[in-house]
Amino acid sequence: MITHYLTMNKKLFAVALVIISVFIFSQKANAQLLQLQNICSLYFAPDFISDGQEYFAPLKPDQKAEFTTTFFGDNTYRIVACTNLKHSNVVFSVFDTEKNLLFTNTAYDYTPYWDFKFSSTVTCIIQVDVKSAKFVPGHIMLLIGYKP
Amino acid sequence: MPLYRNTRRFCFLIIPILFFLVWSCKSGTETKKSDSISQSHKPDTLSFLIQFDGSLFPLPSPYQVAQLVKSHNIPFNEAILNNPRNTKRYNTNFKKALNFGVYGTNLSYLNIYNRTPESITYLNVLKHLSEELGISPAFDIQFFSNIEKNITNQDSLLVLLSSSYRKADGFLRENDRNEVGSLILAGGWIESLYLLTTIAQSTSNRDVINRVGEQKHPLDNLIEVLSPLYYKSADYTALIDKLIDLAYEFDGIIYSYSYKEPKIDEANKIIYINSQSRVIMSEYHLDIISQKVEDLRKLVVE
Repeated sequence: MITHYLTMNKKLFAVALVIISVFIFSQKANAQLLQLQNICSLYFAPDFISDGQEYFAPLKPDQKAEFTTTFFGDNTYRIVACTNLKHSNVVFSVFDTEKNLLFTNTAYDYTPYWDFKFSSTVTCIIQVDVKSAKFVPGHIMLLIGYKP
Repeated sequence: MPLYRNTRRFCFLIIPILFFLVWSCKSGTETKKSDSISQSHKPDTLSFLIQFDGSLFPLPSPYQVAQLVKSHNIPFNEAILNNPRNTKRYNTNFKKALNFGVYGTNLSYLNIYNRTPESITYLNVLKHLSEELGISPAFDIQFFSNIEKNITNQDSLLVLLSSSYRKADGFLRENDRNEVGSLILAGGWIESLYLLTTIAQSTSNRDVINRVGEQKHPLDNLIEVLSPLYYKSADYTALIDKLIDLAYEFDGIIYSYSYKEPKIDEANKIIYINSQSRVIMSEYHLDIISQKVEDLRKLVVE
């Protein structure tokens, strides 16, 4: 009988540990995403209107996040790319659909935000990557806004 | 006695769990609070940038569409909007979500033309639909109180509205209701295209016609977003079929693109993209696309 109770207690303890761990990890992940959201939002000047939602992508080893989007002519857009990884630089590059490189921030000290003035409508591919010494799991975030 | 001891041990385990549950709920509320505070300072639009399976989906903002139309001194036309009374017809979440997007676009159009009384009516429609769709936390009492205070301020109204749309989208995503979000997105896009084609037909304005032609890529993305829902119900199937049918017509439009080296103004962090694109859209294509958009819009609003 006692053995039975002890076994039951062990099981309960295991279940409790799992529940607590799940809560701790989910809280930590949420806090990290919120922090990333706040950092990225700092680069949005008030005269830019975010043209959508905040896009989060999990980082994967040796894999770039790639997005395709259309920028309409006679508009100025701001692109902001951030990561929640410390001591890392976010590389973001903009290509047209013919794979001509329109811009990359590598030559500009990895500055996380740039404005793009489009004279004509162009569909672009935005590649986002993180430069760090070794792979660490994390997230990248991209924001696009336009100037009304 | 053993039972009592066991209960005590059980309590010993349950108390930390309860503590973590309470802490989690509390900090979740705090997170939401700080989120709403930060969002209140963030300008936004009624547009969406939705992401499914790695594809980023920016719509031409309904605000941008309305701005383009107004910049050409095209007069306001109330007849092209979806009548607020139509809400009574929308009995399913499918229809409610689609028309939530439709009325959002209508509200942008009204806002750009400073139509305050009509804007209030459309706001009430959005409130009603948000309650029906279970996304009312994004359109709470505080939201309507702020709207009342800023009803004549075009920019403030835009920021408030867009912030609430963003909250609604976040709420849907957090609650695994992405299909509602994608329907709102689809409704908003269809209505924007309907406004563009109707105005393009009546004014023959080249810039508006070109903006219609430039919707090929956003349409392809919208289909990609909705495709996983194709077999969800007959409603989804009918909607996606119509969008695919419309996409075939867009294939008939001629696009030309020529790359030109961009210029970088490093001091001001501005890149001037000089590449040029051109849309060649025949009257036949404008007519047929306009007709198909009208049919599609009927499916949504009727």
